[in-house]
Amino acid sequence: MKSVFILCLGNEIVADDGFGFAVSRELEGDPLLDNEDVEVEFAARAGYYLIDCLSGRRRALIVDTIRTERDEPGTLRFHEKDAFTSSRHLTSSHQISLPTALRLAEELKVPMPERIDVLTVEALDLETLTEQLTPQVAAAVPRAVELIRKWITEEVCYASHEERKTALEA
Amino acid sequence: MRSITIDPITRLEGHGKIHLFVKDDGELANCYFQIPELRGFEKFCQGRPVEELARITTRICGVCPDAHHMAAAKATDAVFGVTIPPAAFKLRTLMYNAFFAGDHTTHFYALGGPDFVCGPDAPAAERNILGVIAKVGLDAGKKVIGMRAAGQKIIEMIGGKKVHPVTAIPGGQAKAISKTEQEEIAKLGDQMVEFAKFTVQVLNDIVLSNKAYLEMILSDSYAHQTYNMGLVDENNKVTFYDGKVRVVGPDGKEHAKYEPARYLDYVAEHVESYSYLKYPYLKKIGWKGFVDGVDSGVYKASPLSRLNASDGMTTPLAQAEYERFYETLTGDKSGKKMVHSTLATHWARVVELINACEVVQKMARDEEILSPNVRTIPTGIVGEGVGIVEAPRGTLTHHYRTDNNGIVVEANLIVGTTNNNAPISMSVKRAAEGLIKKGSEITEGTLNRIEMAFRAYDPCFGCATHSLPGEMPMEVVVHDAESGEVVSTTRRHC
Repeated sequence: MKSVFILCLGNEIVADDGFGFAVSRELEGDPLLDNEDVEVEFAARAGYYLIDCLSGRRRALIVDTIRTERDEPGTLRFHEKDAFTSSRHLTSSHQISLPTALRLAEELKVPMPERIDVLTVEALDLETLTEQLTPQVAAAVPRAVELIRKWITEEVCYASHEERKTALEA
Repeated sequence: MRSITIDPITRLEGHGKIHLFVKDDGELANCYFQIPELRGFEKFCQGRPVEELARITTRICGVCPDAHHMAAAKATDAVFGVTIPPAAFKLRTLMYNAFFAGDHTTHFYALGGPDFVCGPDAPAAERNILGVIAKVGLDAGKKVIGMRAAGQKIIEMIGGKKVHPVTAIPGGQAKAISKTEQEEIAKLGDQMVEFAKFTVQVLNDIVLSNKAYLEMILSDSYAHQTYNMGLVDENNKVTFYDGKVRVVGPDGKEHAKYEPARYLDYVAEHVESYSYLKYPYLKKIGWKGFVDGVDSGVYKASPLSRLNASDGMTTPLAQAEYERFYETLTGDKSGKKMVHSTLATHWARVVELINACEVVQKMARDEEILSPNVRTIPTGIVGEGVGIVEAPRGTLTHHYRTDNNGIVVEANLIVGTTNNNAPISMSVKRAAEGLIKKGSEITEGTLNRIEMAFRAYDPCFGCATHSLPGEMPMEVVVHDAESGEVVSTTRRHC
C-alpha cells in the first residue's frame, strides 16, 4: 500500500461534482507519481468506505467539491480535516459523510493517516446530470493539479495556514 | 392547527421531509412523507451503449453501487440474450453476498442499533454508533471495521477494483480468480461467519434482553399488514443475487411468483402531486390509497418482507435465527405467520447478515469458482432486458430497451426505496398517530420515535452527489398553520 494517498471524491456525471474525477484524470501519468510513494484514486463513494480506503496510509489529501455559497464558483481552498462538522445522528446509511467517517475512525482507533487535508473547489452546479463541469470549476482544475503536486512534495502539506493561503493566491 | 416539519436537508434542498399537521388540541390531523430522488437518470442513459450501464448506474448511489452494478449486468445479459457460465454466476453471487454483509453490518451497528442499544430517548449526542460502541465495547467497533474490510477485499479480488466493481460484463465476468485468491476469500468467509455469530450475541445481550424493545416491536404504532416482496430460489428460500420475485399477502398466502422479465404484469406506479417519487403497488390488487390489508396493493420490499415472502433461509445458522425470529414474534417458527412490525426489520436484517456471511463461506470453497470459463461471448441481440437483484434496502429493478446496435432507447429503474415509498409514508403516519395524542407533549423522544419508523427502511435520500459538507441534518420546524409564522426551528445534526 502506498503511503501518500490522493483521494478524489465526486460523481463524474453530476456537473461540478465531477471535479474530483477531472483532477484524477489530469494526474494520471504524472511523472511525479512514478517517483514517489503516491497513489491517486477517484471514488464515487461515501459512507464507511472512506475509512476502509484511508486506513493504513501515512498522509492523505482528499479532493472534493463544496458548496458554501460564500465563495465564487471555482475557488480553491485547503482545509484541515477538523474543519467539518460530523453528523452523528443518522437516519440513513446515506448520511455517513466524510467528516462522520473520519470522526468514527478516530474514536475506534482505526490507524488513519497522520495528516489528512481536504482540497475543495466551490461548486456552481451540483444538480444537473451532465459530464461537463461548469466553466468556472473547469478553469480551477489545472491550478488544483499544481497545488496537489506541491502537496505531494510536502511544499504545501506541512505549510502553515498563512503559507497555504499564499500558495493558493500565487 | 400547527404543522411540524422533520426535514433531512440535502443538496436537493426542499425535498425529503416529514410534515406533521397537528391540531390546536394536540391531535394529529395528517402526515405526509417526501423523499428526494435522482431525477432524470433514466433519460441520461438513453443514447448510450447498453454495456456501459453497469458502470454508469453505479453512480446513482455512493453507498450501494454494487447493487446497481449487478442489476445492470443482469439486464444487459438479457438484452444480449446470453446465459452466463456457472462459474461467473457463482463469482457474482459470492461478491454480491460479501457486499450485502458489509452493508447490513453498517446499518445494524450505525443506524438501527443506536435506537435500541442506547434507547430512543437517549440524548441525540449519545444515540449514535459511538454510543453503541460505548455500550458494546471498543472491540466491537474494531470487529465492525474488520468485517467491512473483509467484504471490501473480496469485492476487490472478484470485482477487479476496490472502489467500484467493474468485472460483471455482458455474458459473465471479465476475469476469473486464482487459487491464491480463492484461499484468501475462504479465510475471509470464515471471519465473516464468526462476526455474524458475534452480532447474534450482541442482538441477544443488548437488544432482545431489552423488554422495551420487544414491546416496541409488538406495538401497533409500528405495524403494517401489507403485501411482502422478495427474491426466492427454487425452494422459496431467500436469495439476493438471482431468483424469482415472490409476493405474499398479509395473511401469508402467495399472491404471485414471477420471472423478473414479467415485473410490469405485477407492478404499477401511482403518482401523488406532492412528491417526485412514485408509489409502486401491485397491479392486480390496485391502488387503494395509503392503507394496508389484503385489498390494498401496497407492498413492502425490505429485509422483513424478504423473510415474510420466503419459506426460510439457504444456510443453517441463518435458518436457525429465522426460526427464532418467527417463534419469538408469532409463536410459530415455520414463518407461515407474517411479522408486520416495521421495527422487526432490524432483526430481519441480522438474519440476512448471517445468511450472506454463510453464503460467502460456502461458495468460497466451491471449486467451480476457479474455472477459467467465466464468460459467454454475446453473438446476437434481443433488444430488451430486465435485471432484478435484492438491494439491501429492497428489490432493485433495471429494465432496458435498445435498438439493434445495443444503444439504449429506454431505461426504467425501480430502486429499493421507491418500492417502499407508500409503506414508509404509512409507517411514519402510523407512528405519529400512536405517539401524538390529544393533550400530549411532543418531545425530542417523540420525534425520534417517528424517525425510527422510516429509519428501519434505511431509505436512500438521493445521494448521487457526494460533495462536502455531506451532512444531512434533521430540521424540525414548528409553525402556526393559521398565521404561517414559524414558532420554533430545531436543527439536529449531532
